Amino acid sequence: MKRQSVIVIMLLFAAGFAFPGDGRKATPLKEWIEFDHPKILALLNHINGLDAYTVPPLEVRKDENYAGTAVDVEPFGGVRPYNEFFLQQMEYTGPGRAEPEPEHLDTVKIGFIGPIMSTVSVATGGKSHEETLGIPMLQGARLALEQWNERGGYLKRKIPFELVVSNDNGLWGASGNEIIKQNYKDKVWAILGTIDGANSHIAIRVALKCEVVMMNTGDTDPTFIETNIPWVFRNIGDDRQQSYLLIDYAYRKMGYKMLGIIRASNRYGRFGVREVRDSARRLGKPVPLEMAYQVGQEDFALEIERLRKSGVDAIVHWGDAVEGAKILNQMRAMGMKHPYLACDRCVQADFAKIAGANAEGVVCAYPWNPESQTKLFVKFRDAYRARFGQEPETYAAHAYDGMNMIIWSIQAAGLNRAKMRDVLAYMPEPWPGVTGDIQLSACLDDVGDVFLAKYENGDWNYYSRTDLDIPKGYIPPRDRVSRPDIEIARK
Amino acid sequence: MMRVIIKVSAAVLAVLTPVAAFAEATHASPRGLPYVYTKWKHFTIENGLPNNHVFAVRSNGNDLWVGTENGLALIDKRQSKVVKVWQEKDGLPFRSIAGIDVDKNTGDVWLGLFGGGLARLSGDRFDHWHQLNSGLVNDVVYDVVMEHENVWCATTAGASRFNPKTGEWAIFTEKNAPMEEIWNYAVDYDPQANKVFLAIWGSGVLEYDVATDRWQEYVDPDGEMEIDLYRDDGVNHVIVTGVTSIDGAMWVSSYFGGTRYDGRSWLGLPDIEGGLPSLFNNNVKGRSAHEAWFCSDKGAGAIVDLDPETWVQYVRDGRGGRAIVKQRLKPEDKTLTTVEVVETGVNAPHSFIVNADVEGNDVFLGTSHGLGWGVGEGYYPRLKERPLIGAAPKADVATQR
Repeated sequence: MKRQSVIVIMLLFAAGFAFPGDGRKATPLKEWIEFDHPKILALLNHINGLDAYTVPPLEVRKDENYAGTAVDVEPFGGVRPYNEFFLQQMEYTGPGRAEPEPEHLDTVKIGFIGPIMSTVSVATGGKSHEETLGIPMLQGARLALEQWNERGGYLKRKIPFELVVSNDNGLWGASGNEIIKQNYKDKVWAILGTIDGANSHIAIRVALKCEVVMMNTGDTDPTFIETNIPWVFRNIGDDRQQSYLLIDYAYRKMGYKMLGIIRASNRYGRFGVREVRDSARRLGKPVPLEMAYQVGQEDFALEIERLRKSGVDAIVHWGDAVEGAKILNQMRAMGMKHPYLACDRCVQADFAKIAGANAEGVVCAYPWNPESQTKLFVKFRDAYRARFGQEPETYAAHAYDGMNMIIWSIQAAGLNRAKMRDVLAYMPEPWPGVTGDIQLSACLDDVGDVFLAKYENGDWNYYSRTDLDIPKGYIPPRDRVSRPDIEIARK
Repeated sequence: MMRVIIKVSAAVLAVLTPVAAFAEATHASPRGLPYVYTKWKHFTIENGLPNNHVFAVRSNGNDLWVGTENGLALIDKRQSKVVKVWQEKDGLPFRSIAGIDVDKNTGDVWLGLFGGGLARLSGDRFDHWHQLNSGLVNDVVYDVVMEHENVWCATTAGASRFNPKTGEWAIFTEKNAPMEEIWNYAVDYDPQANKVFLAIWGSGVLEYDVATDRWQEYVDPDGEMEIDLYRDDGVNHVIVTGVTSIDGAMWVSSYFGGTRYDGRSWLGLPDIEGGLPSLFNNNVKGRSAHEAWFCSDKGAGAIVDLDPETWVQYVRDGRGGRAIVKQRLKPEDKTLTTVEVVETGVNAPHSFIVNADVEGNDVFLGTSHGLGWGVGEGYYPRLKERPLIGAAPKADVATQR
């Protein structure tokens, strides 16, 4: 009976929100996966009404290839590894599904953690530098939450959602304390955040022990998801995906002979550029020089001079927009006309403003296409403009999608953290996001398309792999451990 | 990654069966059988625990200390009952306890508070150290251990060492130790080797030689997150969750399997060979150079001998539970074979094992839904010839990758 009533409620939700509120039978704008999707109903059938000891017989997803990695950039290619990870979906086998929904609640609290207030930065030892990313992230999350409250909040009980906001821009470890507070004191149902790679790792360690969904919308560190934690989701294309595209563009499309790297001397720079460096080496074109600079540095002459002497024919920068622009300016001032490739953080107003005319021709990897002009995006953009008087950017858009995914999981599964995790982990189709369709891999990472942003005629233009006809290496349709010998030898 | 799929006959033999008879069925006989825990005691909120989510367990003589997500409990082993509980209203400085150790000299109980720093329970009084009143590097403490008169804390932002006699603190981070990442997860002290071992998420295992003040690091040799290139080349992944050093052997757990190191050779202990119940392991507790208890999300995996490699998996199965004995019958076998299935009734109260401790003949399993105490009456280490006490799988026992 209880199960039936839940299904009825879900059907009502679907009927009430799949169409505009004025009664017109217009083509519905699909903003979330239907609550009455047969696979969602089947999933709920499996996970509802369980005792603490029963693990539901859910089929785990298996991928045949990790992160869409081409055979010629796989690590230790040509060797069959003993074991390969992240191809099989992690299960949650704990007792959480048996937890009943609490009776007395005034609001449904959802945590947010991100760099929103200026403080001391570990990277620089001085002023922090990620608020320009964190504030839009907060705004995107807040907008999604407010829109759900306008629709009625937590529909099953007609209570509003409440955002519990924490700043994570302190010393390393501060994010752990904040997640603890959100979990034990605020009793949030899920957490969205954060951007800094170190803080994100710290946060998910706590989330794992506390058993709470952690939705990451802004940390592109590849290792973030490579931890096998069944409570962690990411809805933004990571630096691995972006690096693969950048490398394919540089070597397979443009035919550059040798890349030089200059990067921030922090975790973002160190881990972000790793796949560029490794892929280059595996393609037989190793990076001869990788220069690191301190965040906040003003003079890059030493690093640039060494790059020039190394004989590289293109430069890759991985760091923030301000330093990226200053390096570019100094390179040009020193007479270097090398193509300048960079990470997504350089696709910001600051970069173009500081670099001026030098920005022309710069190519950056980018996790999504903000010019997609889908109806979903246009609706979001208009709402964001109206609410905040700004244009939405990467961190706002992904946070908007992430918060929608979290709230959708609550509407679908009820107030039970384990079941929320389940519906997110077993989404029957890609999430219809404003940033594009969000396709999660077996390890719950976004493996959807990433793009290149080119600065042309004073503006950024966005291109897919197809748009630019960028070749890609062969991707075998089998995992590496059980791949036929002939495929191993192909390397 | 492929999984081991083990098909075990459901037939249960009710009578004791000689080991010799088993040889005929499987074409190779087990070279002795291990001790199997068949007597278990359970503790949940129904019989006194303050919370079912058990994060830490430490046995000390007649005292069994249990750290939960909402309070500390003391079980008197002679009475087999919870005799005292502390929560925040009783003076416990923070609700969640992730690590416990006992000072053998003073009897003081040291608590790693998961988000609350470090506490000492002494004479029914709590003392409290945290980021704002001490040299503790971070309040999210995952584990504590005593080393001589020092207390080591594995925190989410480095390790701290505290000498309560002198009040001196030392902090170990990437600044003064070979930590590529500083996210400490577990800490162990091996008095025989006089070394402290840190299990670090992102930095493998760090070994600190107390006598020489030197560090030795053990990381995944292939350096890659998505593969384990060779089974026996070192720690199987850089994300390490637990470590124990005992009798010259170091046991390591991770979310990617287990590993053992004897100072000369590494041995990979992956789930895909059928011994370890799961890839995902929260911790490990070594009992000897031959025996260690891995805390997986699919039951406890006790490796009890290396020659031949033999495991006992303890899993809860609905209202019952089983001990599954696995052995590598021939050295060239790629997977282990089920050689015995013992219906134990409920063993671990839940198959999601978080922590473990061993003392004397007994074993203690902290799970996400209660504490299990395996009573080791007649315990013996490693293997010996004995009759089957459970079911012998039929010849259709099959393993496949």
